[in-house]
Amino acid sequence: MTEPIIRVRGLTVEFAGNPVLTGVDLAVAPGEAVAVVGENGTGKSTLLRCLAGLQTATSGTVDVFGAPPADDPPFWRQVALVADEPAWYPGLTTRDHLDMIQTIHPGKSEDSPAPSFTGASGGHDVDTMLEAFGLRDRGDVAPLNLSTGQRQRLTLASAFLRPSRLLLLDEPERGLDAAFRRRLHSMLDAYTTAGGTVVMATHDHTLAAPSTRRITLDAAR
Amino acid sequence: MTPSRTRRALDRYSVLFGIAMLAAVLGNPISSVLSSLAEADPAAMGTGMALITLVLAGFLATARARGPVAVSAADASWRLLSPLPRASVLGRTARVLATVAVVAGIALGVALLAVLGAPDHLTWRLLTAVAIGVSLTVGGLAVAVLAQAEQQWNSWLNITLVVLVLLAAVSAGGQGRRVLSTVAAAPPSAGAVVAAVAATAAALLVRQAWSAITRMPARLILAASTRTGNAATAAVSLDPGSLTWIAEDNHWRSRTLKSKPWPRLPAPLALAWQDWRRLAARPALLGLMAGSVALPTLFAQAGAGMVAVLAGALAVAAMGVSGARRDAGNPAMAYLLGVDRRTALAARALLPALLSTLWLGAALVLLSAAGALPGGPWWLFAPAVAPALAAAALRIARRSPVDHAMPVIDTPGGAVPTGPLFWAMTGVDLALVGCAPFVLALVAEPATLTAALVAQAALGAATLGGYLARAR
Repeated sequence: MTEPIIRVRGLTVEFAGNPVLTGVDLAVAPGEAVAVVGENGTGKSTLLRCLAGLQTATSGTVDVFGAPPADDPPFWRQVALVADEPAWYPGLTTRDHLDMIQTIHPGKSEDSPAPSFTGASGGHDVDTMLEAFGLRDRGDVAPLNLSTGQRQRLTLASAFLRPSRLLLLDEPERGLDAAFRRRLHSMLDAYTTAGGTVVMATHDHTLAAPSTRRITLDAAR
Repeated sequence: MTPSRTRRALDRYSVLFGIAMLAAVLGNPISSVLSSLAEADPAAMGTGMALITLVLAGFLATARARGPVAVSAADASWRLLSPLPRASVLGRTARVLATVAVVAGIALGVALLAVLGAPDHLTWRLLTAVAIGVSLTVGGLAVAVLAQAEQQWNSWLNITLVVLVLLAAVSAGGQGRRVLSTVAAAPPSAGAVVAAVAATAAALLVRQAWSAITRMPARLILAASTRTGNAATAAVSLDPGSLTWIAEDNHWRSRTLKSKPWPRLPAPLALAWQDWRRLAARPALLGLMAGSVALPTLFAQAGAGMVAVLAGALAVAAMGVSGARRDAGNPAMAYLLGVDRRTALAARALLPALLSTLWLGAALVLLSAAGALPGGPWWLFAPAVAPALAAAALRIARRSPVDHAMPVIDTPGGAVPTGPLFWAMTGVDLALVGCAPFVLALVAEPATLTAALVAQAALGAATLGGYLARAR
């Protein structure tokens, strides 16, 4: 059996004595897509933050790629997190942002080809990304002048443009129209088919489709 | 009397009593301060007038950046987009603007008197100066209101700002000294005529501005209210750092951008490149930086050259650290980029170091040329100080919001909240420590600068190295 890429055992998180997560167990294999679902306030985002190493567990263990997640560059080179909207750099256009990300992550290593949203293991140029994410005509626009949904597309494009082996998505459907949600589901399918792993917190039935394993969180007591 | 009337009467009594108490307590100190203003220094007249003109230009530029006609978020949501007459919705805003203009005008008038002096009839000249000051700020604010409503007035405001900056340059250069001496020696009656003309012009502008306010389209007020609302939120939560963030967003949001290919640089430099590109796209800001090189020489005449040279170099360095500020405020993009934090910061230190080197070098050359510094290659301090200033600018950009949980210390001069104090000193502390040999050399003015230069170069490099090593 394949060794899990993520292993969570008895994870409990409390904020000021209030439990948010209680005794959560989770194992995710490479190439798997997991949708964490549940009502508001059940700790979906907190679980993702724990997986990203941004939240310390009150008790329990979290291992990602065989070690506790570390908030350092080697970890972030493998993991792409899409949660809150990033702070767009002022004076840079949509295309500039993608161009900069591509310059920082030139190509993908031949030794460990990273999965992409088309299923291929090669890199994509900025024009392809703009086209795929419906932003072709918005390349010269500042991200702050895009609509909410377009900014979410740009955030997702930024995450897909750089190489990664694990995608952590917190409500990726935020602001997206129904057609693009379906397209996003196909992209995530292709990404996992190419060996990538996805863990997402979502309320969207399209994204939490049958091909995706569902984990339901209940309110912690 | 009904309870509400009683309360109103009590409120009025409290206000009047407060004013009377203030007058009783501050009357003597104020009158002695005003008497001391009568004696003006003819040598500092040009510098003083230049500073007053720049402050007036800054006041008008700020008024325009704020709106100036804006309403609270609640009014914008509920009252602006309603059948209520605009005059009643905007009445409070107009009163606030008028109060601000009058207070600023009084301060401007007193400053005017301090610069020009009062060889005779102190009270009469003070009233004249205050009348002129208030006319200038009230009239100026009225023009800013008109500029918000009509493009034509906006052009006039631009011209006014350019004229004010040119006047400041002429005053500072000493060319207007004869004119200023003539104005200072003019009889009080001439001043009264000028004040009367200024007040009449201001009144006409205010009338026109009020008429514009009552007809101002909601979209213009909403746009200004969003800007002011964001700024007010930052001010209420006492997080002045976010004001810079808001100002940047407002600047770029209204501009047409053009994508350019990103140069193929190693990862940290590719990340830092955005600050270079952003600055290159702001020629006006670069021009302002270049123009401000002369300010330390101007301030040196008032005995504040050292403070100006350090503050200016740090301010210029801080113009090149937007990227670090963004990533510190919201690290989501930094996580996506996955660049090592220390190497990214080292790459981001290059631009502020270069900016402060160029600015400080030029400022020191001018100070030496003006005779404000003794002989010696003072400009060599610029590259020696630059790493420390770059570290300080990065520390300013990456500082956390004000910690209001920090204690308030009671002092004989009143309560001092340490949170804002520590916030304000974050970054400045590093500049002061990292530039210590330079500061000491400015104070002591040694015969030879070699030892101070070597010490500064070593300390500057150590400051940046230490900051990068400790950066989290």
